[in-house]
Amino acid sequence: MMTRDRAESSSNVSTTSWIEVVALYVMSITLALMLSALLVEATGGSAGTVVEALVSGSLTSPGRWGQTIGIAVPILLVALGTIVSTRGALVNIGQEGQLLIGAGCGAYASVHLGNHHQWPGGVVLVAIIAAGIAGGALWAGIAALLRYKRNVPEVLSTLLLVAIASQVVAYALRRESLLLAPLGRGQGTQTQQTLAVPESARMPSPEIFGNEVSLSLVLALLAAFMVAFALARTIWGFRLTVLGHNARVAQRSGVAAARYGGIAMVTSGAFAGLAGAVMLVGGDFGNYRLSAGFAANIGWTGLLVALVSRGRVLPAVLIAFILACLRTGSGFLAATGVERRITDVVQALLILALLIPPALLYVRERRRTEAALDSRDLS
Amino acid sequence: MPTESAPVLRVEGLTKRFGSVVACERVDLSLHPRRIHGILGENGAGKTTLMRMLVGLHTPDAGTIEIDGQPCEISNPVDAATYGIAMVHQHLSLVEPLTVWENVALGDNHRLDPAQTRDDVVRLGERYGLPVDPNAVVADLPIGLRQRVEILKSLRRDPRVLILDEPTAMLTPDEAHELFGAIKQLVEEGDRTVALVSHRLDEVIEATNDITVLRRGVVIERTASTDATADSLALAMIGTRPVALKVRTATASTGRVVLRISDAVVAGVEGQRQLDHLNLTLNAGEIVGMAGIENNGQHELIDVLSSLRSLDGGQIRLDNNEVETGSPGAMEAAGIAVIPADRRDSGVVLEMSVAENLALSDTPIAGRLGLIDLDAMRTSAEALIDEYGIDCVGPDAPMWSLSGGNQQRVVLARELCRNPKVLIAAYPTRGLDVGAVAFLNEQLLAAAARGLAVLLVSNETDELLTLATRIVVMFNGSVIGELTGDERDRTRLGLLLGGRTS
Repeated sequence: MMTRDRAESSSNVSTTSWIEVVALYVMSITLALMLSALLVEATGGSAGTVVEALVSGSLTSPGRWGQTIGIAVPILLVALGTIVSTRGALVNIGQEGQLLIGAGCGAYASVHLGNHHQWPGGVVLVAIIAAGIAGGALWAGIAALLRYKRNVPEVLSTLLLVAIASQVVAYALRRESLLLAPLGRGQGTQTQQTLAVPESARMPSPEIFGNEVSLSLVLALLAAFMVAFALARTIWGFRLTVLGHNARVAQRSGVAAARYGGIAMVTSGAFAGLAGAVMLVGGDFGNYRLSAGFAANIGWTGLLVALVSRGRVLPAVLIAFILACLRTGSGFLAATGVERRITDVVQALLILALLIPPALLYVRERRRTEAALDSRDLS
Repeated sequence: MPTESAPVLRVEGLTKRFGSVVACERVDLSLHPRRIHGILGENGAGKTTLMRMLVGLHTPDAGTIEIDGQPCEISNPVDAATYGIAMVHQHLSLVEPLTVWENVALGDNHRLDPAQTRDDVVRLGERYGLPVDPNAVVADLPIGLRQRVEILKSLRRDPRVLILDEPTAMLTPDEAHELFGAIKQLVEEGDRTVALVSHRLDEVIEATNDITVLRRGVVIERTASTDATADSLALAMIGTRPVALKVRTATASTGRVVLRISDAVVAGVEGQRQLDHLNLTLNAGEIVGMAGIENNGQHELIDVLSSLRSLDGGQIRLDNNEVETGSPGAMEAAGIAVIPADRRDSGVVLEMSVAENLALSDTPIAGRLGLIDLDAMRTSAEALIDEYGIDCVGPDAPMWSLSGGNQQRVVLARELCRNPKVLIAAYPTRGLDVGAVAFLNEQLLAAAARGLAVLLVSNETDELLTLATRIVVMFNGSVIGELTGDERDRTRLGLLLGGRTS
């Protein structure tokens, strides 16, 4: 019924091709690896042996890739939650604290239901995980409440809550009524840690090809699928995406920022809390006991993974695994005579390498968009 | 108007273009000593561009600027200052956490002398009736006093020509009156020249000696203020342009009241009201035009009708049911469709696809179990793309890849496909080409013919006069007048735009 004005054509808009994207990533990663090799050689090591050690420590030596997966799982869980909050344009950077509180709540369930009341193992395991989720959700919920009731920027509140979280857990670790393990027989001083999670309540880790693979891997992959599906295929994900891109459009079309943003934030915390609980029952961290420093930077690493994967689930799975490899692999570096901390530098370089291409692409896309819009509006 | 004294500043043939838009075309202007010169015009008439050229913020494409008969080149505000020209901008540029004297001292390039600066503020303030405490923190001052600080800051450099760009835009009537008193004193006792840019008829007649009226970048009229009447100025400002588009006006309505806005109040800063007891009713089947100079409350009203902000008083009733203001999606759910003034701000999500943008409120795509019904989304998107002639590569095309006109069609398609009862179209043709404008106007008429109540908010006098059955005029946050039938003429409209009700 209407006439189309042919003067306005929209066919000549080109997006970046995937070949360009891949080339960009390959180039930037190669550069990072070359720099790393240079650094190793400069500090008196040999790049070849370092690579060998890393691969052997993370994958090929007996039992190692099982452990790598044990570390990749919580990283991925944290990243998945962060992807959800980022979709709503919320900047949650307090995963480390949410994870610690989650682990703390899980440990409380383990100590009181498992060690004291001797509930059946399966029930305790479920309780630990549920408590972890609740704890993380609660901790992020505080930030969400402050954000939507008092307009406190969530960047600040989540970050500051990390410091509070470690104090809260440290306090609980000094009270026998809360988390502290009672003085054992023949023990001179009490170490600030909990009793170990009862064996029956630990996450089963069946042996596959000589590696103990924690069942939490299944949990994490299932969660990854659910997050990807929820964001792409549900009305809830659609609304959250609208909110994240344009809060005014969202408000106009009936998306309540406090509700959707709040849920996204709490979900993000729940995932971090789940990661904490999984770490506790998985045994790769702290040998089934909660102690100070239990979070071990997994929260920060997960945040990094979400950042590098630009909010997409599949790349997040991959990157979580790579970062876990670097972590387990670095354990084997001592034998090569290279400073163990070199892996921190390599990790930093790799992350930079992964962050630069998306930043470049974003800038370029934005410029094209603006150029396209400007030329169109004047026409 | 001819004065005996030679002009301080004379401008000849000044022209400035932005791309294909001509902001000022061959403008001649003479500012004489000890006189206040009013520059009058609608939004976009080129007033501010002209003044910005005088202080070196824009470089003219053609024309000359003479000071005391000497041609000079002004390429930046520092040049302008050396020639003795200073400008107080409409949007104040003060550093809020700093004190008054600190702000006044900003931009000095000699050693800071706090005592001297404080003295200057007090001395100049007393002399010209612009007193202000030099030690007060700017953030604590009301707008009127902040503007005083800005003027004192300029005066301390001892300019011969002082340009004031819409100085009363944010002032209360009392504050404005005080300001004009000070300006008179400044000119008479201080031996200075003032150029006063404004769109308010009354204040220009009251406060100035000479008046120049600009329309679309061209000088339309030069007159002495004593010879000017509000009528003659209004007509000069609005003009009698030939009607560009032959469109029929929507038929006068006899429909029932659909939307009733009563006593709407939105509070602003400094105790001002952005909406001040606004009353408006829209009937089914009519197009009501809403005219008004920018910042007289139109944007606040549109935001309220878009559920983007709540009322501080009054209510909005649709079909006699009260609609909650400021609640997410409430207006839309009640049946109020909105084409927002800035589609990128609240109309579309550039990063999402055309299909997703067409389904923003998601009722048509909601499938079972909270899932998106992808088939329904695609089918309805394809139908709307076809019906509204949206030119894009398909439903999955990213929104940013569409031209402005086609983005506007997406907004229109989405808003109309839900069978609303009211359509609010805010500056719907702004920035669009002729074809897209015609399409949009047709759509508005068709909507009214289907029985929708349409509110067309616009700056385009022609658009309003041709499309609207009646025109309401916004001034200081409320409707100050309404023109129906034969009353809809340019002079009356111009008077109302300038705040004159009689």
